[in-house]
Amino acid sequence: MVWADARRYARVAFRELSFQAVYAFRQGNVLPTESARSLVPKAERRVVQSKLLVSAVLGLIAVGGAFFVASAKTVPFVAAPLTPAVIDGGVVTGLLALDAAFLWWNGLQVLPTLLSSAVVPVLEPLPIDDETRRQTAFLVYLRLFDLPVATVVVVTPVAIGWALGPTAGLSVLPGVVSAVVFALALSLVTGRFFVRRIQGMRGGGGRSVVRWAYLLLWLLPSFAILGFLTAATEFLAVLGSVAADGPALARDLLFSVYPVPFGMLTGVAARGFAQAGLSAWGAVGLLLVATAYVLLTAWTGVWLYGEVGELGHLPVARTAAGPLPTYRLRPRSPTWAVVERDLRVASRTPGYAFLLLLPLLDALALGLLTVADAPSRSAASGLALGAVTVAALLATFFGPAFFAIEVLAYSYGRTLPLSDRAVVGGKVILVAGVYLSASAIVLLLASIRVSDAPLFLGFAAAELPAVVAASCLEIGWLFRTARRRGFPIANLYSGAWTAVLVAIPGLIVAGVPLVVSRLVGIEAMALVAVIELGLCLPFAFWGTT
Amino acid sequence: MAPEPAPPLPLAIDGLTIDYGERRAVDRLSLQVRPGEVYGLLGSNGAGKSSTIKSIVGVVRPTAGSVRVLGIDAVRNGLAAKSSIGYVPETSLLYEALTPREFLEFVAGVRRLAPAVASQRARSYATAFRLESEFEEPIVSLSNGTRQKVLLIAAFLHQPRLLVLDEPLNGLDPRSVRLVKDLLRRFVQTGGRGILFSTHTMEVAEELCHRVGILDRGVLRGEGSVEELRGRVARGDATLEEIFLRLTREDEGLSDTVASLAEP
Repeated sequence: MVWADARRYARVAFRELSFQAVYAFRQGNVLPTESARSLVPKAERRVVQSKLLVSAVLGLIAVGGAFFVASAKTVPFVAAPLTPAVIDGGVVTGLLALDAAFLWWNGLQVLPTLLSSAVVPVLEPLPIDDETRRQTAFLVYLRLFDLPVATVVVVTPVAIGWALGPTAGLSVLPGVVSAVVFALALSLVTGRFFVRRIQGMRGGGGRSVVRWAYLLLWLLPSFAILGFLTAATEFLAVLGSVAADGPALARDLLFSVYPVPFGMLTGVAARGFAQAGLSAWGAVGLLLVATAYVLLTAWTGVWLYGEVGELGHLPVARTAAGPLPTYRLRPRSPTWAVVERDLRVASRTPGYAFLLLLPLLDALALGLLTVADAPSRSAASGLALGAVTVAALLATFFGPAFFAIEVLAYSYGRTLPLSDRAVVGGKVILVAGVYLSASAIVLLLASIRVSDAPLFLGFAAAELPAVVAASCLEIGWLFRTARRRGFPIANLYSGAWTAVLVAIPGLIVAGVPLVVSRLVGIEAMALVAVIELGLCLPFAFWGTT
Repeated sequence: MAPEPAPPLPLAIDGLTIDYGERRAVDRLSLQVRPGEVYGLLGSNGAGKSSTIKSIVGVVRPTAGSVRVLGIDAVRNGLAAKSSIGYVPETSLLYEALTPREFLEFVAGVRRLAPAVASQRARSYATAFRLESEFEEPIVSLSNGTRQKVLLIAAFLHQPRLLVLDEPLNGLDPRSVRLVKDLLRRFVQTGGRGILFSTHTMEVAEELCHRVGILDRGVLRGEGSVEELRGRVARGDATLEEIFLRLTREDEGLSDTVASLAEP
């Protein structure tokens, strides 16, 4: 009976959450000058649209993986012997890791909204028993992920079943369910860690460094999963060589690391255990490990149910009082004040920190690969240039999301004499800074292996105007959209469509000079990038105050 | 010798109309805040006070009419107008991830204050408001009253010519209430400054405001000093609350409403 009540309360609470997610009044946004009656349905529509977008990406990943295992006999760039079972197992492992990473990322983006919307604590003073309130909180939490989770759980087994047969399709199901449950639990754990350890940390006295270190530590598992995908071919090579002729201990260890056992289970289901390099006992061992993970998934699910109910009661942990403040203010120019504010907000807001740190850590991962794995100097050189390319594209892709910071305290921020140019300029500087920092990481690491510093510096410098141009285009477009609609692009739920739409031309602008460098050379690349900048810069600042 | 031109009015609103879709929040409102004056804007919930204030500080674009701050058109030349305004909003929604120091640093940067000036003023006001122990705490962990103090400091930081205050005493402790009242009285004494002060608390308005305007469903029902308004309702001993209720006709049937709510 109580579940029926909980469903009813959750429906109302989620409607409020959608409203808050899109219009963010509790974070200081202002009411658009349109009929208030239309706002709630519009917010609900937007949330569904954004969930559909995330679901479409997850569905495409599953279908893409299925096409790959259906057609691939070999894997490009992998010299190690790969049996079809290992390819299947490796690809399904990658799919599960990507699903978990994507859902976790989704959770990171929307959890702060769930916390700030206070839809769960609002129920507290009402005469609702603890169990119903807990169920309501759980249902609200699940609804954050419902369409993406349904997509993963349905599309992945169906797609793999189409590619490898019904048994293989069914064998994916436990892995998919565990990826979903672990992702939801990780979202909760990291969200709670954020509230307890980062949000309440005092400022000043070099504590921002500690905060960034905390954030790095907190985001590391997420980067590990993404890094694993970055190094997917290397992983398949290791999997292939260990399965073929590796020591038994190494194979057992590798096959016990989540989510490898679930991936290999599909490989075994599709091709038989001999092709996976397993004996009959090895297959039993794999089954046992997978069963252990299924049990862990069940336990995590129960734990999640218990913990989500307490989400609304998390107090912000204040750090111990420090010495008396010095009151020394160091005001910057308006543009730099925007940059500094955004960095400070990001240092206490995981969603934004993620956007900032992802290109940097990806650069670190690719730089380390350049040092450790490239078989020759020319290959290392190619990898390093590729890493700078990735840094440019990532900075361009994630940069516009920093515009979302403008929604915070928007109703107050708009009362300050802060010009549009300062806002746009600050965001562009931030994106350029991310690109330059990521490039610097790659170049520093690459210099250990390759001594062609002028080439790298020339390449990174030639791409810089294109990154700035792309950023000008994206931020300028976002800015106009925000002004037209009367509210800024707030978050994943409110602005996903716009952010993706904006990122497409941005990626093209950042990508064209990279293509030109391959076809013609760095000089032509630099010329194209400067021309792009000449075109996009006026667009960003035209008509602004 | 030609007479010196009169100093510009801190605030002049003329024919201000604000629509939200089909709903009219403010209807052809005209009012002025004169130099040296604290002007109290009173009204019931939804009377249009906050909408009026938001149009002055550039958050809401008026449907019609004009808003001039020290002679500057606040709609067409928003940046210049905002430079002269200090604003405390109705709800203390700030950058929650920042500390008061970081927030004030941002505001000082946007307002292009010199570091020494900004630091000295931040120290003076933070000490006056006893903010020492919270100055480096993230705003998210602060109480409503403390957030309000941070907003008040930010409003005073650049020594504006016009203060626009929407329920500025909300959540403040008695000492801080007294402090703010004294600061506001002193603020208007020099420099041709003015204050637009919105409140529901009639006693505060009566104590602090030189003139009040009574807003009802977007329309100004009465304006003047409390004495002048007493004359309008023809009761020499009327309190501002009684004047307010009479002018907005909200006293009609009030006793019957109370009686109907009485428990059986």
